[in-house]
Amino acid sequence: MRLLTHNMLSSNIKGVVNGFPLRIEAEKVAEKSVEMNREFLKKMFQKVHWKAFVDASRAMGYTELPEKADSSMLNSDEFLNRFHHALLELHLEEGALVCPETGRRFPVNKGIPNMLLPQEEVLLSIIIC
Amino acid sequence: MDLYSLDPTKFVKPGFGVCCRVSATIHSKQASTTDDVRHFRILFISRALCHTDWLMIHSVLKTSRFLNPHREALGLTSVVGDFVCHLALSSMKQINSKVDSSLCTLAPSKEPSIADSVSASGNGTISSMSVQSTPEIEKKFVHHVYDAIAPHFSATRFAKWPKVSSFLSSLPLGSLLLDAGCGNGKYLGLNQDCSFIGCDISPSLIKICSDRGHEVLVADAVNLPYRTGFGDAAISIAVLHHLSTENRRRKAIEELVRVVKKGGHVLITVWAVEQEDTTLITKWTPLPEKYVEEWVGPGSPRARTPSPLPLESIPESEESSTGENIKVCSETNVYRDLEEEKHIKNQQEYFVPWHLPYHRAEISGASAHALAAGLATKDDRKGAVVYNRYYHVFSEGELESLTTGINNARIVDQFFDKSNWCIILEKTA
Repeated sequence: MRLLTHNMLSSNIKGVVNGFPLRIEAEKVAEKSVEMNREFLKKMFQKVHWKAFVDASRAMGYTELPEKADSSMLNSDEFLNRFHHALLELHLEEGALVCPETGRRFPVNKGIPNMLLPQEEVLLSIIIC
Repeated sequence: MDLYSLDPTKFVKPGFGVCCRVSATIHSKQASTTDDVRHFRILFISRALCHTDWLMIHSVLKTSRFLNPHREALGLTSVVGDFVCHLALSSMKQINSKVDSSLCTLAPSKEPSIADSVSASGNGTISSMSVQSTPEIEKKFVHHVYDAIAPHFSATRFAKWPKVSSFLSSLPLGSLLLDAGCGNGKYLGLNQDCSFIGCDISPSLIKICSDRGHEVLVADAVNLPYRTGFGDAAISIAVLHHLSTENRRRKAIEELVRVVKKGGHVLITVWAVEQEDTTLITKWTPLPEKYVEEWVGPGSPRARTPSPLPLESIPESEESSTGENIKVCSETNVYRDLEEEKHIKNQQEYFVPWHLPYHRAEISGASAHALAAGLATKDDRKGAVVYNRYYHVFSEGELESLTTGINNARIVDQFFDKSNWCIILEKTA
């Protein structure tokens, strides 16, 4: 799972008001290099929630991102390289994503987050009601 | 089956999941001499009789699920039996059931009693939750099947549909595309200038995508775990026809619209009732009336217009398409013919067979499990394990009507192509 994906993911448990950002518990992180696409990075910069992104990159052991960023920094190659690396090249291979409100852990195995809610949670709330 | 040995210490609670471990003794008919002691995971608990300290347990799962409490495992689970058993448990009041933000925990608690906390909960969450809870028919005849046939399905799914390809290539440079129900990921990465994120409810299919280097996750299209407005565009190709209620189909469309930005486009395609190859339908099994009502619910268009025609008069096996079909028709009178035609036209709920060749079925233990559980059958003549996939095929205008309640989207285009109904929506606000 890339941090781009992490920046989009939100806990979808019913009743959770703010399920974003999910806290990362990193057990294994991988780096896979990909070609840089400046246009994509510039578009993504507008979408990315910067604080969540910086926190996530630190949870993954990457500390090169500035605390704050604005679009003028996109002219800097050094900034773009770091943004690119953290957004697209860092992968959470093993670990979990934790809902900020409920503490529910969504496991990440072999790079794949499983965001399904166990049916027990859904069913029981119906049946018990 | 008797249930006893209910030591309260055996109730455990990993995370928010409700896991009650109960020792059960099965008086097996095959092995009458020795009792087989197993552990079960209790799935459904109702509060019936709880004022008398009795819990009603409707179904339980085998211990393997308990030891491996991941969603993947649950997809392959077979219910041991829909029996009702009563647990005489005087300490039950220590077990508090609490519905909070739709989460349930069964845990020792200081709070009063089950009955009290249960009656205090609810708050109208039932309807919204039931849209998100996966009906049995989808679990058994969609999720389970795709998990079992994933490699074979994937090996036969490579043709890219031109309409989808052209939608993808029309996306501006640097777009983020979300594919909800991506299957084996054949559309992921189709436009080199864009970034793709796919999700599917089948872990087996998602693993195939991941092995191919795609960015994917396991998620439910009816309840996308995405922030609102993050995607530039979204697609849902041949997914909605696997959802068994109108509310769930509508919710899936709402989710696609929700996750794209304002101005973003959403492409949805579904199988049509109007199949260009009409012989295809004769290979499908129309769902029996009772199942339609039981599983799909009264909200479906099919259930609202019940036909008096019994199932037996409908060609339902593949043999029927080879000539026996005609014989059946000639023996029925004109009235019956007309009724049958009407019935087939109204018919939207089907089982569509998937033939998994024996040599592939042997690879995964899932098929053996499915055969044992009656979810699949063997066809020795074809040398295949036959799985049924649930489909709700769409009638003309049905996709459009599902979007009428969505205020922040307009229809950009809709068309019929290759036996599919297709719609392109634009998020307007």
